[in-house]
Amino acid sequence: MSTDTIIKLENVHVSFWQNNVGVYSLKDLITQRKSPFKSKTILNNISVEVKKGDSLGIVGRNGSGKSTLLRTIAGIIKPDSGTVTVNGTFAPILAIGAGLEVELTGYENITMLLALYGTAKKNSNAVENIRDFSELSHEVLSMPVKQYSSGMVARLAFSISLANDSDILIIDEVLAVGDQGFQAKCLQKIYQIKDQGKTILFVSHFPDDVARICNKAILLEKGEMIHSGNSIDICNNYRQLF
Amino acid sequence: MQNITRIYALSRRNVILRYKNSLVGFFWGFFKPLLYLLIFIVIFKHNSGIPNYVLFVTSGLVLWFFFSNVTGQSVGSIVSSSGLLKSLNIPAFYFPLSETIGELFNLLLTLLVFFVIMYWCGMVYSFKLLLIFPCILLFAIFALGLNLFLCSVNVFFRDIGIIWNTIQPALFFLTPIGYAESSIDPKYKIFIKCNPIYYFLKLGRSILYDTVAPSWQMWSNCLIICITMYIIGHFVFNRLKNQFISAI
Repeated sequence: MSTDTIIKLENVHVSFWQNNVGVYSLKDLITQRKSPFKSKTILNNISVEVKKGDSLGIVGRNGSGKSTLLRTIAGIIKPDSGTVTVNGTFAPILAIGAGLEVELTGYENITMLLALYGTAKKNSNAVENIRDFSELSHEVLSMPVKQYSSGMVARLAFSISLANDSDILIIDEVLAVGDQGFQAKCLQKIYQIKDQGKTILFVSHFPDDVARICNKAILLEKGEMIHSGNSIDICNNYRQLF
Repeated sequence: MQNITRIYALSRRNVILRYKNSLVGFFWGFFKPLLYLLIFIVIFKHNSGIPNYVLFVTSGLVLWFFFSNVTGQSVGSIVSSSGLLKSLNIPAFYFPLSETIGELFNLLLTLLVFFVIMYWCGMVYSFKLLLIFPCILLFAIFALGLNLFLCSVNVFFRDIGIIWNTIQPALFFLTPIGYAESSIDPKYKIFIKCNPIYYFLKLGRSILYDTVAPSWQMWSNCLIICITMYIIGHFVFNRLKNQFISAI
């Protein structure tokens, strides 16, 4: 593994248990000793190498395994076989609002997530930075997150993830919500992070965004990587799927 | 160090969430044992033949409600934390652990209040009462082991939570909380002796009610039960934890 490789996946295979439990299964479970689960392959034989400073786009249909791939890279899902090597730190995955506790206020969520991510004490004005970037007012942040609109949730989630000074930024379809102003701001921030030489993993259904942000991309189809290479070519391949 | 910060953050969240949006918040923790205490006094006190019945029941109820709350809260701890588990790389073990720690915190506050009530009921203040802390520690490790088992199986079979809520009242009455052990027909005593909570209750009660240092026999019984339960829970949890993401 060369020194500038930050993420390397070799022959990664991930499968999930699928619950077979139906009306008759409790009986089956006892009488036939049938396993209540069957294994379903989600990612099959994926090998990817990402260099430091690269931004990798991941495109594919719904259910093709994009989010699972991101989670495998982030270490949240352990692969059944194959190896995942990562030489850097992650920001939390930016799925829309995931990880936010809806009953807690915005401020409570910020403190909790910063502490969970382990950057709380190092940067004492992290909370102010998040508030400034999200453009949410003090009153809004004092409200429980369940009262937020989906755009406000996205603003908060995105701002919290950006507050972590990590080597790899993972963005999972976050630009879909949020008003135009905030989208532009996010894109600008993403470019800025890219210019700092950080690595970005970007999942999106908008090929234009992928082509603009990423230099490389891969196309997933039914858990297999069918194309990889230059992001513009891959986006064209992606468009041809439909 | 980072792990301690994370566990603390999660435990803090649990304590906040527990009484969020409730009218009297934290005080619900005392109302439940107090209500049961009243019921027991009204129904059983007269015929119990136990000296200082109020203290006897209170010492049992405090421990029981710790157990009942902590298991009830933890059963769903993995399922309800799906958002965090899917977006952050943190060990799933932290969730049942932080539920247990949050509930321990509640128990300590409850004990503070009940120490006043129990004093008023005739408890003797002595240094031997401090033995309640190792007793609670053993009980908490036992509960954590059970929680690991319950919350991990609950991810795949959501009826575990329902089943557990059904079993709990049975366990409650199989534990001699409101009645004396001697009032049970010797034929059926085996049922009570099969209930692991009985041993922790006996240990705690001999400290709080009798104010004596429990025998080594009682300590070792509890120690064996708590280690066995923890090993079982740990084993099941570790077998299942890699598939949590697929099912929540």
